[in-house]
Amino acid sequence: MAQFSALAAAIALPFLGAALAPLLYRLLGDRVGLAGAAVATASFALLLTQLGADGTVSVPWIPSMGVAVRLTVDGLSLLFALLASGIGVLIFAYASEYMHGKPDLGRFYSALLAFMGSIVGLALAADLVVLFVFWELTSVCSFVLIGYYTADEESRYSARMAMLITVGGGLCLLVAILLLGVGADAAGLARFDLSAILANREAVAEALRARGLFVPTLVLVVVAAGAKSAQVPLYFWLPGAMVAPTPVSAFLHSATMVKVGVYALGRLRPLLQGPEWTAVVATLGLVTMTVGAMLAVISTDIKELLAYSTASHLGLLVAAFGFDSHYGAEAGAFHLFNHALFKAALFLVAGIIAHEAGTRMIEDLGGLRADLPITAAITFLAALSMAGIPPFSGFYSKEIMFEAAWDAAQAGGGLAWLYPATAVFASIFTVLYSLRFLWLFFGDRPSGLPAVHRPPVGLLAPPAVLAVGVLIVSLFPGLAVDRILDDAAAVTAVSSVEIHAGLPTYLSGPVVMSAITITVGVAAFPFYDRIQTGLNRIRAATTVLHPTTVYDALLAAADRGSAVAGRGVHNGLIRTYVWWVLSAACVLTLAGFATTTTGLPAPAIAETPAALVLVLAVAVVAAVAVTTAESHVTGVLTLGILGFMVAIFYILASGADLALTQLVVETLLLLIFLLVIEELPAFYGEIDWPRVSRDAALSVAVGTTAFVSVLYAARDAAGPPTETATYFTDNAIPEGGGANIVNVILTDFRAFDTLGESIVIVLAALSVLVLLTMRDRGETR
Amino acid sequence: MTFVLAATVGLLFALGTFLLLRDDLVKVIWGVAILSQAANVYLISMGGITEPTAETVPVLAGYYAPFPQTADPVVQALVLTAIVISFGMTAFALTLSYRAYQENETIDVTEWPR
Amino acid sequence: MTTVIMRTTARIVVPIILVVAVSLFLQGHSLPGGGFIGGVLTVAAFGLIYVAYNLDYLESGVLDREVEYNTVIGQHRTVTAYRRLFMFGLAVVVASGVAGIVLGEPFLAQSYTYVHLPLFGEVEFASAVVFDFGIFCIVVGGLLTVFSVVGAE
Repeated sequence: MAQFSALAAAIALPFLGAALAPLLYRLLGDRVGLAGAAVATASFALLLTQLGADGTVSVPWIPSMGVAVRLTVDGLSLLFALLASGIGVLIFAYASEYMHGKPDLGRFYSALLAFMGSIVGLALAADLVVLFVFWELTSVCSFVLIGYYTADEESRYSARMAMLITVGGGLCLLVAILLLGVGADAAGLARFDLSAILANREAVAEALRARGLFVPTLVLVVVAAGAKSAQVPLYFWLPGAMVAPTPVSAFLHSATMVKVGVYALGRLRPLLQGPEWTAVVATLGLVTMTVGAMLAVISTDIKELLAYSTASHLGLLVAAFGFDSHYGAEAGAFHLFNHALFKAALFLVAGIIAHEAGTRMIEDLGGLRADLPITAAITFLAALSMAGIPPFSGFYSKEIMFEAAWDAAQAGGGLAWLYPATAVFASIFTVLYSLRFLWLFFGDRPSGLPAVHRPPVGLLAPPAVLAVGVLIVSLFPGLAVDRILDDAAAVTAVSSVEIHAGLPTYLSGPVVMSAITITVGVAAFPFYDRIQTGLNRIRAATTVLHPTTVYDALLAAADRGSAVAGRGVHNGLIRTYVWWVLSAACVLTLAGFATTTTGLPAPAIAETPAALVLVLAVAVVAAVAVTTAESHVTGVLTLGILGFMVAIFYILASGADLALTQLVVETLLLLIFLLVIEELPAFYGEIDWPRVSRDAALSVAVGTTAFVSVLYAARDAAGPPTETATYFTDNAIPEGGGANIVNVILTDFRAFDTLGESIVIVLAALSVLVLLTMRDRGETR
Repeated sequence: MTFVLAATVGLLFALGTFLLLRDDLVKVIWGVAILSQAANVYLISMGGITEPTAETVPVLAGYYAPFPQTADPVVQALVLTAIVISFGMTAFALTLSYRAYQENETIDVTEWPR
Repeated sequence: MTTVIMRTTARIVVPIILVVAVSLFLQGHSLPGGGFIGGVLTVAAFGLIYVAYNLDYLESGVLDREVEYNTVIGQHRTVTAYRRLFMFGLAVVVASGVAGIVLGEPFLAQSYTYVHLPLFGEVEFASAVVFDFGIFCIVVGGLLTVFSVVGAE
């Protein structure tokens, strides 16, 4: 059974470390990276104790809304959390060497630790709200990490782009979560309990379908996952994210950020499975796989190549999860694992090359085998695994993916044969760019390349550990499969799964697919340059369609639009603000009344006391006089009349306290008005009749709204008093010990409100004081 | 009764709004003052108004239950603080416009630098 | 407006207003009145003094002290006193709230008790009066700050 304490500690430790990182940086300096590695190791160890456990634990969070901190342990969540924390250990160790002497390391490690914690939290979350919180936390942390070089314009641009895309996707997820909540509610489950939803997936899916919400939910989930996992057309933030320091890129691209979307798809796969799912997800994945692989081939920078290759492999993962058959689940879980291992290793290798050779341009690099023999060996393992060449680990998972595609084609027939065809087509490019990356170490050494140093152990050890991992999985795939991968695949599948990892022993469709891929890929490699030129031509011809172009255009349009709207709404004139606010308020209020009520209540005119009519009439006349006042002094005096009439109105309305206060305040107001107006000049503006009539129209609208609102809101005095009023009346003496109910409410029942109101007076006094004191000190404008 | 109250509140709101839209800053402040008076009357009307008698004032004469039905004390408490606060705010607005006049040498809001 | 009639009237009326203000404040818990009303009425009394005399009259005429002329109005002694008054009021209000917490009640919880005093008989002491006193100080201090500052212009 799962232990809540262990799981919560595995999530909380990185966040605790994140809080302490700036302090530790003061104490330890650059070595704080090792402290981060220690934290990651602790999380990893805690998660390892849960290996083999299964189940959900929860503590209430917002019980009234059915939200709880539910954590779940199963194959998939453990696989993902272990990958994040395990690779996290290596990344921290690598970073403490790589980031040596860089500025702002406290912030860097703090964000990196929080990032890892969010990923682990997301992996273990079994509550949709908790899942969403961690989901957005990863976006925020990655924003900080990608924008690490704050002085660099490109870095800021990329960070903003990643933030906009992934958080935008997150909003789609939020809506999807609410829809799922509706479905769960209808199925009689706790609203946001993911594990209960998955356990009763048929009922929930049925409830969603009955309301027509199934397809919207599916689409929203796919959009959210696609934005996070860099699927077409939202992949473009991923290559931009490579401006981050290499350890961050390695972490971001291999085990964490981009896998989050894939993980979410895997988790919701059993619930949302069906023909729509395959049509949307598998197609999306295969398109991404192809586009990503092609873009990787024409990359000129090694990190760019790896970034596009990540997009391509994510496409593969998404496509695998898109296929209905159990092969899909197996391929998804297995390749998730393999990709994390080899991609992290390759990124770290790219970091070593950039660090030691001083350049990342593919053209300038070559023949590094002699200078970096160990790195070359690591790359050999990882790159061939990425290419899917037998007997390396990537081959096994890719082979299962081919089986899934083949299976789907056989079941679907017709157009479905495009699935395996596209998969093979994209994989050929994968082989090409994998070989190209490997070729950095072979071939001729360009003459311009400066002397390359051997990397220190701190940089070499982490990718070596990963390469050994790749080697072990390649030689003994059964080890990993038995321990965790079978469990992980089982979570994402509806039928029973059993991963067969091994070299093919007989000829079948998928084997032929693999054979074509590898043969064509290797055969085409000598013509790499020509292929590159061809692809570049295609790319140049379709510039208008590039998502980056669209993104920039949209952003620019939003900028222009908000500038225009700003000038219209926010132009520094009081009347503009009044117009917008009041007309909007009128429209909303009247629309509210119009939609929710039937007809106006009959206004009771009859039994109005003559005194009241007289007082109110004088008040209105005074207000009219204020409006038409010729000079400031007349206006102020008539305003005083209005105030005194309102005071008498309070007497007639049985408000003794009110009348007293109003009388005094009105006197004071008159006094302060006269004091200030003495200093202000008279104003003689000419009357602009068209404008006056427009203003009059708005005034009439506001007046009508107020009139109608009073008709609806005024309480019929003949009826019984409200419950609140009765409560206060009955309890004023027993509870408050005072007979003046109004005063008891102010000082006793609602004393907190009164405190706030008295602070308003204090603030007003302070503001007046500051306004004049600043002037006296000469601080004007 | 409601009709008279509604008409008063409506008219006061209309006049206050009209003043808010003037160019003369002093008139704008008058507008705010009238609007706050109107809002107070609105609030009182939500509590319901009866013919005033000794019983209806929300001050209990005897200390013993059953307590009489009084005018709604809740709205009165609301309005009481609103009166004092609106005075503070009006004073602040006046000072602000006085300072604005000193800075810009005009109380015509359209002539201020924007 | 500093005519003789005005000054004479002010001399007579101001003490009456002040007494009424204090009594309104004290009886507020059980009869019409309270911190807000008592506060504004006190401000009105001071306002009358300002109109009849001037800002410095309180210092020079009542307290018989030398008036320091300071160019910065915020540091004027009277203004400083008012500012201290509303700060004190705020402190009283918050302290009366915290007292509730100390006694194991929620923030700002009030209580009352009856005490038998010679001559007065049964007198009610409500902790709410302390709170109300804070409100009184805030209203008096805050509004008088505004008045004296604006009046000094």
